Amino acid sequence: MLALRNVSFSYAGAQAVDDVTASFEAKELVALTGPNGSGKSTLLKLLARIMLPHAGEIAFDGKRLRDWSARDYAKEVAYLPQDPDPVFSMRALDVVVSGRAPFLGRFAWEQDIDYEEAAHALDLCDASHLTDRYLDEMSGGERKRIFLARVLAGRPRLILLDEPLSALDVSHVQQFSALLRDIVARTGVTVIYATHDLNWAAAYSDRMLVMQRGALALDATPEVVMQPDAIRELFGFDADTVRTGGRAWLVPRVGS
Amino acid sequence: MSSVRQRSSLAGAFALLALLLLLALLLASSLGATSTSWRAALAGDATARSILIGIRLPRALLAALVGATLAVAGVTFQTLLRNPLADPFILGVSGGAACGASIATAAGLARLPGVVPLIAFAGACGATGAVFLLARRREYTDPTRLLLSGLVLNAFFSAVILISFGVSRQSDLTAALRWMMGTLFGASWSDVALLAVLLVIAMITLAAIGNDLRMLAFGEDDAKSRGVEVERVKLIGFITASIVTGAAVSVSGIIGFVGLLVPHLIRMIWRRDFRFLLPLCALGGGILVVLADLLSRVVVTSAELPIGAFTAVLGVPFFLSLLRRNR
Repeated sequence: MLALRNVSFSYAGAQAVDDVTASFEAKELVALTGPNGSGKSTLLKLLARIMLPHAGEIAFDGKRLRDWSARDYAKEVAYLPQDPDPVFSMRALDVVVSGRAPFLGRFAWEQDIDYEEAAHALDLCDASHLTDRYLDEMSGGERKRIFLARVLAGRPRLILLDEPLSALDVSHVQQFSALLRDIVARTGVTVIYATHDLNWAAAYSDRMLVMQRGALALDATPEVVMQPDAIRELFGFDADTVRTGGRAWLVPRVGS
Repeated sequence: MSSVRQRSSLAGAFALLALLLLLALLLASSLGATSTSWRAALAGDATARSILIGIRLPRALLAALVGATLAVAGVTFQTLLRNPLADPFILGVSGGAACGASIATAAGLARLPGVVPLIAFAGACGATGAVFLLARRREYTDPTRLLLSGLVLNAFFSAVILISFGVSRQSDLTAALRWMMGTLFGASWSDVALLAVLLVIAMITLAAIGNDLRMLAFGEDDAKSRGVEVERVKLIGFITASIVTGAAVSVSGIIGFVGLLVPHLIRMIWRRDFRFLLPLCALGGGILVVLADLLSRVVVTSAELPIGAFTAVLGVPFFLSLLRRNR
């Protein structure tokens, strides 16, 4: 579905993404991890066609991103920035239905079908009860659900989320991770999400990508990533792996 | 909520404000220093006709158009720059216009009819262009730099205006000051026609990019990922709002508060996106300036007071009461 070949990007001389090659298929939940500044956000923006790579190519359905029109691509691929914040508070339903924008004509307003899709997306995110609430009346977790519903409202085939779990408490991290898993299973969409939380990423994702200084250092199953040696090399800290419930959990070593 | 309900709620709000605007226009054209009535004018009374149709009606209509223009420019700038403090004047548009007008006055051109508005309009366009070029970095226009450039240029224009006034003739100063305070005195049907045409073109243009503009509320990266050509939309929105502001300022002088206040007022009552707010702001701005202009000429009959003062006198209490209620 999506293929990257030797993709590089730099900001005014500083290399942010360095020679990344990878490919993604349908119905995958992929966690994109790596230390701060390792290029996760930049990579997601490149995949979302917000910026075009300076070298290499990204292709969706075999067609280069630069050859897709912005609107057509937006119908297939949806992106959620790290901290979306409409300056003026909006009603949840208006936020979600705005996810249908790529399908609207120049002077057109949303039709019934768009509201049906929005209601369906809210339902998928367990957020139907928030439909008429305003963003400034919601908790962080509720807002995240609304923005996830907005991304789903266009029924994209690929969803890119930039740190959707940041600033959530533990129970919400689990709920949201399970929600992502559930949405992938039910809709067949592929989700690539950036996250710092290795344990939750390993518990819920099919595959983990680890970025390091712009390069793709490791692209493997959680089982492979969650090894003490790999963690020391990629993230620079010592940890033990504890196996429980059939999964590996990282426990950082204290005072080492 | 279905699309039908969505549209009918806009239609309801639109009808309500349109009715209020109509009432305001009727009131403004009926009241004044000379007592006369529409009944007399319709019966063929020549004096009543010349006062109502020749003077009061064009003035009231021009007030409505100026108000609509400033409010439309205000809601556009606030959406475009993602900044609730943005208004048509913060970007130097009015400063440029005032600068042009005061230089024209200092040069003694104020006595030639039509010259001051024309130079004011040129000043507004020049200032807009300068602000936009200053804020542009490579292919990207930075909203914060845009605001900052406008602010700094405004300071520069104020200096030029003071110097121009210093060297102007005493007899020219009264007209210049009146213009700086905002006045619709001497409004003509040609002003009405000109501004009406420009406003209609601007509204159609803004409605055409309305879907894209409202997407900017979520940030530029988000909008780009939703298929919006962000730089193009910013350029079109910025130029459209600036040109109509320049035109409004050139016929009315500087009327403050409208562009800032009206979009916020409308947003407090109807908390919706740009496409919804655009027509409502046009009507709301019209109502506010028509009433402010009416007050400015009937409160004391011996002189005309600045309209800008009355837009604030009328708008601020209303604004504050809504702000309290929405807490």
